[in-house]
Amino acid sequence: MTATTYKPPTPGQQLSALLAETRLRMLNISRYPGQLVMEIIIPIVFAAMPMLLGRATAGADAGANFKANTGTANYVAFLLIGSNVFTLVSNAFWHIAYWLRFEQETGTLEAVYLTPTSSLTLASGVALYSVIRGLVAALLAYFVGCLVFRVNPFEGDIVLALAFIVVGLIPLYGIALLFGALVLKVKESNALINLMQWGVGFLMGIFFPITVMPPFVRFVALLFPPTWMTNGVRSALLGVGFFFGQWYLDWAVLWAFLLIVPLFSFWAFNRVEGNLKRNEGVGQF
Amino acid sequence: MLPTSSSPQSTLLTGPAAWWDTLIASTKKELLIMLRYPVEFVASFAQVFLIVIILTLAGLMFSENGVRSEGNSTMAGLVIYGFILFMFLSDTLWGIGYNVRREQKQGTLEQLYLSPASKFLTMLSRITITLIWTGSLCILSAMLMSAMIGRLPFANLPLGLLILTLALSGTFGTGFAFAALTLRVREAGQTIANLAQFAFMVLCAPFFPFSALPEWLQNVSRVIPLSYGVDAFRSTLMGFPNGYPELAPLGVEIAIVVAFGLAMPVLGFWLYQREEDHARKNGSLSEY
Amino acid sequence: MNGQVIVENLTKTYLTKQRKGLFKSEEKKVEALKGVSLEIKPGEIFGLLGPNGAGKTTLIKCLTTLLLPTSGRAVVNGYELTKQDNAIRATVGCMLMGERGLYWKLSGRENLVFFGALYHLRPAARQQRADEIIERLNLGEIADRAVETYSSGQKMKLAFAKALINDAPLLILDEPTNTLDLPSAHELRAVVRDLNRQGKTVIYTTHIMSEAETLCNRVAIVDRGEVLALGTVDNLKASLGREAVIRIEGVISTEASQAVGRLPGVSRAVAAATNGHSQLTVVAQDQAATLPRVIETLAAYKAVMQKITPEEVTLEDVFIARTGRTLADDTRVK
Repeated sequence: MTATTYKPPTPGQQLSALLAETRLRMLNISRYPGQLVMEIIIPIVFAAMPMLLGRATAGADAGANFKANTGTANYVAFLLIGSNVFTLVSNAFWHIAYWLRFEQETGTLEAVYLTPTSSLTLASGVALYSVIRGLVAALLAYFVGCLVFRVNPFEGDIVLALAFIVVGLIPLYGIALLFGALVLKVKESNALINLMQWGVGFLMGIFFPITVMPPFVRFVALLFPPTWMTNGVRSALLGVGFFFGQWYLDWAVLWAFLLIVPLFSFWAFNRVEGNLKRNEGVGQF
Repeated sequence: MLPTSSSPQSTLLTGPAAWWDTLIASTKKELLIMLRYPVEFVASFAQVFLIVIILTLAGLMFSENGVRSEGNSTMAGLVIYGFILFMFLSDTLWGIGYNVRREQKQGTLEQLYLSPASKFLTMLSRITITLIWTGSLCILSAMLMSAMIGRLPFANLPLGLLILTLALSGTFGTGFAFAALTLRVREAGQTIANLAQFAFMVLCAPFFPFSALPEWLQNVSRVIPLSYGVDAFRSTLMGFPNGYPELAPLGVEIAIVVAFGLAMPVLGFWLYQREEDHARKNGSLSEY
Repeated sequence: MNGQVIVENLTKTYLTKQRKGLFKSEEKKVEALKGVSLEIKPGEIFGLLGPNGAGKTTLIKCLTTLLLPTSGRAVVNGYELTKQDNAIRATVGCMLMGERGLYWKLSGRENLVFFGALYHLRPAARQQRADEIIERLNLGEIADRAVETYSSGQKMKLAFAKALINDAPLLILDEPTNTLDLPSAHELRAVVRDLNRQGKTVIYTTHIMSEAETLCNRVAIVDRGEVLALGTVDNLKASLGREAVIRIEGVISTEASQAVGRLPGVSRAVAAATNGHSQLTVVAQDQAATLPRVIETLAAYKAVMQKITPEEVTLEDVFIARTGRTLADDTRVK
């Protein structure tokens, strides 16, 4: 009998598996169009809450007060940017961190681990799907929100804003993977992910500049890439001011996150995975 | 051999004692399950605090001195009292309404239907849990918000509490109706719950005055009974500042809230029973 | 009629949607039960035997009030179905859906006590009953652990325990030994016999023929929503009359099987694949006369015959004789 020689998958095969995962997720979500529509409506509604309260209580001084506190009188765009970056953060956590736990609960994680495709390849496929879905929703929500509240969605340096988003997405998904490892271990996925997304939402200054936070909290906020992403986009579009004064310095910080965070996250994820395999197994929930 | 009871009836409860026992057992079960998700237990408190802080800080960005603003009692009352009703509606939609789906997925919904216990009482146990749990969260959140944006006004407390009770009763009835919907639409119930939550956030104006909405949207708000609950409740406790209540005269609002509070639980449960029958006809009680 | 369970012309029809493309679907009528009539006597173990999708679970769910029948009538423990549903629920103990139907975060004991409350047992009585059941079913070691930590077999045992909590005169068990290992399945059947000796009536559904043969007083063979045969095991076997069964194992092609089926004197010839080779079951009028013709025909088709066994009639043979299929066939409507 001839022994079969195993050949590790080529980069092309890995990419093919990655894209297959992305396609599967896209097909799945296409059967829930209502959910996609909600992803456009929710950030607008969420941003509208403080907007309507602020307008009602401050009246004609709303813009001036807002400018004094944040650096821009364009509170519509400021709040919409925050809620749409939050959409990206939320998507990252739910699609990556929750995906792992969902597969574990339904029993398919073990089936996935039985294949020669690495879990990180599949996670990357899910991440790609999440990025596409999140970006489309966020951009549409920003555009529609601006129209609803009658502000110009094309104000400011759009290319620079997109540059901050694109560079910030990779470390964002790195963080999501890190939290995914935590979720695999702790197992109470919904509660943990909800808490994490709101925690990050607060730290990134979803509806306010991080300058209002106490110094220690501000320091912690600066350790999260979404904080730099949000401020970068606001500064590019609204001129609120980069943390280091110049766009390329803030952008460089995001690049540093891009290089460090995914590597750390992969390492942490592999450790947790290895621990699980040695103990209760990845399928145990 | 398993012993069988020589007089089975002596081991059984009947009448009001049986109902009370079912309610206690179901409530205890829900509480036990809740406590065995320790992360969820802690996270739900923390999450509410974070959301409160985020929305409060956002609102303060419109104030003249931002976070250093002096207390604003009216703003505090507007936001906090609306937030209380928002919390109850949210938890009702998910904890009473969508909970049917959770039981369906787990397979325990059919088990509940195999027993002679009243389904109304098992729903009532969910209400008890919501009152305890959400009530505690509301009190703590109100304290936090009050510390950040201003002292809470407490005028007309008895009337305010009456309005709150009736508004909650109507909310719970809405929960029953949503449970009925969930039985029919199953997983799509999640999307609908999200939609309902966000519609409430806009149309029932829990975080801002109704006057902030365009006139046409205010007219839509007037069609929703819960809007009057929010308006009457906070206007009463704020001591009726100028322009409050916003949607209709107080007498009219109270009449609507009373009707909503009395009729909605009955309607909601009737709808649930109808869907129950539908599910038993098409065999979907066990579908997951 | 003095039966504990009386079923008269019960039907259950569903409407399902079949996808025909991305946006198109077609409604399809599924008759899960077609005019089922039977009577279950007090104190007997009554088997419902049939393949997956036969309608056994649908019948059970109608009798336990989970499903509303489309038409027909049933009386359970003297109570009229659809009119006295709560009384039926109070007087029946059920095990359905196997290991699902338990609260994962509660322990086994807590699950039992909770369901005892739903059957309106007094607090002390339900604690005592839970203790008795745990002891009888040897669940003591796991009773105080959360159900989410149990194996499949342990969850099945707990689900069975839950069916006993209200000490009902009628027990309905839907494939209770599914996923149990042999010793646990044997133990469960022993408990069922014990309970029957104490006077309980049991409805026991299974697709395992040997279980029905060894456990049940009477068996109804169900297929595609209909009761094909009903009687004691011996009577059902005898109903094949002078027909005998020949089982041939080997490598047998479909054409060969079909050719055997066309032979004079052969009532049925059903092929099944088991353990990597074919098994042909031939039901024939006269074994002595038919066997040589069967062997000749198979040889002509170059079949490899490894084992030829003239056999005692089993319930599966009765099923094959009536339906032309084996119990292993899945008859669920797709």
